[in-house]
Amino acid sequence: MSNRQMSSGAAARNLTSTKGTKPLRASQGKIAALFLLPYLAVFLVFRLGPSIAGIAISFFKWDLAGSLSFIGINNFKRMLTDSNFHTSILNTLIFFVLTLPPLILLSLLLAAFFNQKMRGRNVGRVVAIIPYVLIPAVVGIIWNWMYDNNFGILNFYIKKMGGSAIHWLTNEHVALISVAIVIIWSFLGYNTILFLAGLQGIPKELYEASLIDGATRFQTFMKITLPLLKPTTSMVVTLTMVNTVQLFDQIYVMTNGGPGTSTLTMVQYLYTSAFQNYEMGYGSAIEVAVLIILVIMIFIQNKFLKVDEGV
Amino acid sequence: MEKGMRQSLKYILLIVICVVFLFPLAWALACSIKPESEILSYPPKWIPDTFTVSNYTTVLEKYPYLSWGANSLITAVCGTLMILFLSSLAAYALGRFEFRGRKLIYGTIVTMLLIPIQAYMIPLYLMCAKIGLLNTYASIIFPSAANVTSIFILTSFFKSLPRELEEAARIDGCGEFTIFLKIMLPLSKPALSTVTILTFIANWNSFLWPMIAIRSDKMLTLPVGIAQFMGSVNSNAQFQYGTALAACCMAIIPTMVVFLLLQRYFVEGIATSGIKG
Repeated sequence: MSNRQMSSGAAARNLTSTKGTKPLRASQGKIAALFLLPYLAVFLVFRLGPSIAGIAISFFKWDLAGSLSFIGINNFKRMLTDSNFHTSILNTLIFFVLTLPPLILLSLLLAAFFNQKMRGRNVGRVVAIIPYVLIPAVVGIIWNWMYDNNFGILNFYIKKMGGSAIHWLTNEHVALISVAIVIIWSFLGYNTILFLAGLQGIPKELYEASLIDGATRFQTFMKITLPLLKPTTSMVVTLTMVNTVQLFDQIYVMTNGGPGTSTLTMVQYLYTSAFQNYEMGYGSAIEVAVLIILVIMIFIQNKFLKVDEGV
Repeated sequence: MEKGMRQSLKYILLIVICVVFLFPLAWALACSIKPESEILSYPPKWIPDTFTVSNYTTVLEKYPYLSWGANSLITAVCGTLMILFLSSLAAYALGRFEFRGRKLIYGTIVTMLLIPIQAYMIPLYLMCAKIGLLNTYASIIFPSAANVTSIFILTSFFKSLPRELEEAARIDGCGEFTIFLKIMLPLSKPALSTVTILTFIANWNSFLWPMIAIRSDKMLTLPVGIAQFMGSVNSNAQFQYGTALAACCMAIIPTMVVFLLLQRYFVEGIATSGIKG
C-alpha cells in the first residue's frame, strides 16, 4: 500500500519535472504497451483465455471426436445426481480438514522453534524445505514404498513397538489419512518459511517490553506473537487451501483415487472425466465447481481471519 | 544447570526434525542400492548385504530415462528463460510506468494466482490439440511461460527502486529501453534469481499438464516418466521397487543441486511472495 502511494507520488513529481518538454503520460503509455505486449499475448492465449473458455465449455457436450452441442446447464444437473462427484467433494473437504489444521499448527511451532537463536537452525530450515522442492511424483513413490503392507519400514517399526500392521493405502478408511500425512510432510517446511518471515517482522522491542512487564513466554506468545501474526496466518491459510484443493500428483501416483473411491478428490475426478472418459464438457463443469469451492473457501477464510486494516 | 538441559533439549529436537524430513529420502537411497530380493525381505535392513547398482543400470537401459531427463531439462530451462524475458519486461512496465489500465491489467494477472491449472487445462488441451501443439516441447513451455508469480515478485521489486536512477539517465538522453537494460536489470539480480529458482523448480516438477500434453513415451518429462514405474498408475508394468527407487534417486539429484546452490533465494522468494512458481 505504502509502496503504491510512494510510486504514484514519485510519478507525479516526474510529471511536473518534465512539464513543457513532452507529455510523459502519453508517451509512457506507448512504451508500456511495448513492454507488456509479449507477456500479455502469452498470458491471454495460454492462461486467461482458457480460464474463461472453461466456463463456456461447461455448457456444452464435447467429446473427443470434436462433436459439440449446447446442452445448457445439463452438465451441472448431472452433478446433482452423480454419486462419484459427491464423493469427490466430500473427500476434498475431508482431505482439507485432515491437512489444514496440522499444517498451520505444526508449521507455526516449527517457525517459533527456528526463530530462536541457536546453532544449526539454518541447516534445520534448509532440511525442512527439502520435501517441498522434490518432484511430487517421486515423493509419492518413496512413501508408497514406506507404506508397503508387507515390507514397508513404517509397519516394521510399528510392529517392533508392539503395534499391529496398518494397511496404509489399501484400507478404505485409512488411505486418505495416509495421503494427508505425505502432504503434511511435503508442505510443512514451506509453511514454516512463511511463518518465519512473519515472526521476523515483529519488532523485538515488543518482546523486551513484555518481558520487563513480567509476562511468561507463553503469555507473550499468545498476547503478542499470535495477534501480530494474523496477516501471515491469513495468507498461509489461503495458500494452504489453494494448494490442497488443487492437489493431484501425489494422490495420482500413490492411490489413483483408490481403493474404490476412497481417495477420489475433485481434481482426480476432473482428470478422470476429461482425460480418461474424454468428457470435456462435464470435466469443464467440474473445473467450474473446483473454482466455486475455492472462491467459497477464500471467502469464508476472509470472514474468519479478517485482517484489520489498522494493524 | 537448567539452562544446559534446555540447550541440549533444543538440539535433540533439531535432530528429530531433521530425521523426520530426511528419513524417507535416506530410506529410498538405501533401498535403491539393494538387489530386489533383498528389498522384499523381512526384516528391512538399512545397510544392504550385497551392494548393487543394477537397479540404476536397469532404469538407464530399459527405459528412455535420459531422454526424459533431457526433455525435462529443455522444457524447464526454456520455460524459465521465457518467464525471465517476458515477465521482467511486463513487470517493469507495471511497476514503473504510469498509464491507463495499469491497475486493471495488474489486477487481472494477479487474480490468476488463485486459479490453478486444473481449472483451465481442458480448454488449454483442446486449443493445443487444435493448433497441433500437443506432444511438442512448445506445449509445455508456453503454458508455463504465462507465469504469474514472477509478475508479482518483479513488479513489487521494480516499484521499490528509487526514481532518481532513471531520472538521471533520462536527462542524459537514454531511451526507456536502454534504462531498463543498462540500469534496471543489473540492479534486479536478487529478484531475478528468486524468480529463476522458483519457476525452474516449479517447471521441473510439473506433472499434470505435461502428462496430458505429451503422449509419446520418448517425449515424456521426468516426473511423468517416473510415475510409470508405479503399479497403481501402470498396471501392466513389471513393477519393481528397486528400479522405481533408483529412478527416483536419480531425479532428486538435479533438484538438490539447483536448490542447494540457490536455496537462499528460494527461501527469500517464498517468504516475500508466498507463492510457488
